[in-house]
Amino acid sequence: MLPEDCVCTILSFTSPLQTSKSSLVSTTFRSASESDVVWDRFLPPDYQDLLLRLVKPLKFSAKKELFFHLCNWVLIDGGRKSFKIDKSSGKKSYLLSARELFIAWSDEPMYWIWKHISQSRFGEVVELRTGCWIEIHGKIKTPMLSKNTTYVAYLKMRISNRAYGLNTTPFEISVEVGKQASHGTVCLYGHDREKQQTVRMEMLREREDGWMEVELGEFFNGENDEEVKMSFTETKDYHLKAGLVIEGIELRPKL
Amino acid sequence: MSYGRKITLKSSDGETFEVDEAVGSESQTIKHMIEDDCADNAIPLPNVTSKMLSKVIEYCKKHVETPKPDDNDELKAWDADFVKVDQATLFDIILAANYLNINSLLDLTCQTVADMIKDKTPEEIRKTFHIKNDFTPEAEEEVRKENQWAFE
Repeated sequence: MLPEDCVCTILSFTSPLQTSKSSLVSTTFRSASESDVVWDRFLPPDYQDLLLRLVKPLKFSAKKELFFHLCNWVLIDGGRKSFKIDKSSGKKSYLLSARELFIAWSDEPMYWIWKHISQSRFGEVVELRTGCWIEIHGKIKTPMLSKNTTYVAYLKMRISNRAYGLNTTPFEISVEVGKQASHGTVCLYGHDREKQQTVRMEMLREREDGWMEVELGEFFNGENDEEVKMSFTETKDYHLKAGLVIEGIELRPKL
Repeated sequence: MSYGRKITLKSSDGETFEVDEAVGSESQTIKHMIEDDCADNAIPLPNVTSKMLSKVIEYCKKHVETPKPDDNDELKAWDADFVKVDQATLFDIILAANYLNINSLLDLTCQTVADMIKDKTPEEIRKTFHIKNDFTPEAEEEVRKENQWAFE
């Protein structure tokens, strides 16, 4: 049988999931699977920088402990962003808060209201009080994301009880980075002729955490230093709209 | 073509191998011995058999002789063939690379084992590598509980 340090090297070439499974092989494997050498490889390469940006500093004694702690969403950058690691693969997900996005007219209380709600990870979300011009943009630099990974961007939102006008025109969605660009349209609500009522369209998905999301597009993050631009807009229709509650834009790896 | 002097390496079973200093220096262990002036006579390697030493020398020679850069497809193909050995030999090469401190060979062989482990259950891993389950039932249960999520 191989000595523990060789098993550590072997495990560090696998994944967090495989390492955890393999801890059951033998006592040597178990010991190796706890080692900092292994979990240092699984933590994001920029984890030390991320730790400095945490809103709540973290205390940890082992890298494995740190890894699993970061598998839960944590706030960074003064509470404007949140990130977590996927347990099985170690890849990062980010949630950019509404404050981190460009939302046209969001500084005008006549159109958008900023408020605190308990179900949000962030201090504030923003609700469309009324308006016809919807223009929401988000940006993130690719070095923040996990390399050689396909990411999908989602607008994380809710529809309040006071919503109206969201079933008239389709919204335009896009994701652009480097030479990659994806554009499309999405309908949030439509009319069900049979049931004679407004129904939520499939593209507006319910999440497990009680929020909803709309996919904005996907892209492959290689190893370049670029900026991803994500958009959700409706600027052609003069019908008034209301009731969109935006928590932010989430980027998660396509696993 | 060889530059520098030759050094002699002696395996655990007494066989000697003469190699270029550059080839021997792929091993950090041997390199330090050369630097510390311990290489005038044969360098004894009591932890490496002649069979393993000749394999390791073959690897080091190939890597010294192949011009860089590293993304050399021919070298990658050669490496892939080099590790097409039975499991016991693979483990022996890992042990030799570990003892001789040859990072690239250690990475290559460990990556190979990692690829063999991929998606296998603990029982399948034990079978493939002839590893004994040395957990007590209580300890095994504890480890399983700790890693519950990985089995769901």
